[in-house]
Amino acid sequence: MLKNKINLHLIQFAINSILRQKSKNTFIVIIFIILTFLLSSVFFITNSIKYELNLTVNSLPQILVQKVKAGKSYDIDISMIDDILAIDGVSNASSRVWGYYYFKNLDAYFTIMGLDMYEIQYKNTLSNIINNFDLEKTSQTQTMVVGAGVKRLLEKGYYLGNYFNFIKPNGTIKKMDIIGTFDSSTNLESNDLIIMSKQNARDIFLINENKATDIVVSVKNPEEISTISQKIQTLYPNTKIITNDDIKLSYETIFNYKSGIFLTLFIICLFTFFIIIYDKVSGLTGDEKKEIGILKAIGWTSDDILKEKFYEGFIVSFIAYIIGIIFALVFVYIFQAPLLRDIFEGYSTLKTTFELPFIIDFQTLALVFFLSVPIYIAATIIPSWRVATLEADEVLR
Amino acid sequence: MIKLQNVNKIYTINKNNTITALKNINLEIKQGELIILKGASGSGKSTILSLLAALSKPTTGEVIVDNKKLSKLPDNFAALYRRENIGFIFQKYNLITNLSVKENILLPLIPQNLEDKILEDKLNLVINRFNISHKKDILVRNLSGGEQQRVAIARAMVNDPKIIIADEPTANLDEKLSSDFCNVLKELKKLNKTIIVATHDPIFFNLDFVDKIIDINNGSLS
Repeated sequence: MLKNKINLHLIQFAINSILRQKSKNTFIVIIFIILTFLLSSVFFITNSIKYELNLTVNSLPQILVQKVKAGKSYDIDISMIDDILAIDGVSNASSRVWGYYYFKNLDAYFTIMGLDMYEIQYKNTLSNIINNFDLEKTSQTQTMVVGAGVKRLLEKGYYLGNYFNFIKPNGTIKKMDIIGTFDSSTNLESNDLIIMSKQNARDIFLINENKATDIVVSVKNPEEISTISQKIQTLYPNTKIITNDDIKLSYETIFNYKSGIFLTLFIICLFTFFIIIYDKVSGLTGDEKKEIGILKAIGWTSDDILKEKFYEGFIVSFIAYIIGIIFALVFVYIFQAPLLRDIFEGYSTLKTTFELPFIIDFQTLALVFFLSVPIYIAATIIPSWRVATLEADEVLR
Repeated sequence: MIKLQNVNKIYTINKNNTITALKNINLEIKQGELIILKGASGSGKSTILSLLAALSKPTTGEVIVDNKKLSKLPDNFAALYRRENIGFIFQKYNLITNLSVKENILLPLIPQNLEDKILEDKLNLVINRFNISHKKDILVRNLSGGEQQRVAIARAMVNDPKIIIADEPTANLDEKLSSDFCNVLKELKKLNKTIIVATHDPIFFNLDFVDKIIDINNGSLS
């Protein structure tokens, strides 16, 4: 029954036709594979990173209050917390002490987070880490827990023992012992993290007891985030209020910018692809026309010819599409997208050590498919259709 | 039975330029007849063959084969008519030269989606009849002129058509091969095929198995 519908001889003839123009079709398949590979690689990378970042952003504080001086964030007074807590709708407000530490030996940044055990504002990632270690100990001693990436980098920088000497802004040194390492291979934002007590973090950054890096505010009703942000702004006009949505937007802006760099590569491939398409649509060669004329003369209908051309276009483009997708999957998820990944990722040396989570979005696959395969098939069929609908005598003449 | 009734064929080159290829042609050919259309180059012989094979349509008049008006057939039906009724041997053979002998011969059968066994049987029948079985896997471009013509004849015969049309079949052949072709025609006639040959080669004019020789001059029958 199926054989009545699918003419295997016609498919065989289409394959032979492709093979008869081996060099031309090989060139087309290579361009097609590169196009599909680049397009889907970027989609896979951005999907994975967006997935990872969304997890991060969703667990960020709803409102962040920072003090700004000369356009840069500056230590904020802890006393502001009481005023913020008095605003209706605010469920919690607490200070954070955190910052980046530049590790000169390897030109890398660590993120230092000061934590107090009783604080509840930390996101899930940190909560998991906190649960696995006795952080109470770090609050009493000069100790810290570091991410696996930090540990690796310290060892690379010849810190083979379980300690690290921080150089404080005033030039003095503070030695901190490492009492634990947490592995965060799949977690983009915690790999470069060092966790210690607020007291120790203050000491390293030279922040006074009554000051903090910023204040984290939670609200009962997420719909009220923007209203409460405005109230805090009115109360403290010299502060910068950052909401969860603002952070999301800034991540997206960075992504869009970085996608632009990739676009250059992509446009080159697309340009070549459209030259092929133009070449195909602009007409058939004399030999191709003659072949259609012969087929018509010996009893092939226009439908038979168009069906055969469809198979030709489909076989070439679908094989190239599948190979391109497989290459992209291997490149992104097995080889972790060398080179391309650098374009899309963060600035830190450490951040390159996280793994891209395997995210397959079928909409993405469909999008790449519809951007390439049907266009090529149409470009194959249209010129043949123009010739196939002429009288056989006219084509052969 | 084939009938051409008041057939005119005018080719339009451009808006101000037309060529009248056939003028008021009336012709009848009976089943199993072998007809020679004789005339100089450009006299209109090939145009008549083209109309009989439904490769083109008359400008006016009717081409009727077995009571079917070819001039009224839509393009796809004309193709089906050719597939079922016509075996066309072209002057330049019109083979696909980078396909093998076997692939060329089987071309007319591909759209029919036949069983492999049937295809094999049909192929063997014609390659044995025309003595090219030993060449079946060779690319056509590597064959001699005579061999290419035998492939063209085999392809025309593979679907066992009722009507064989040959356009200047000996134009590219030497005397020996032309004589061989005449023998092929004799065999086909024995199979009760209707055969129409357009030619100006004198070799056909004295054949005893030819039923009718029709002169064409400047688009008209003499």
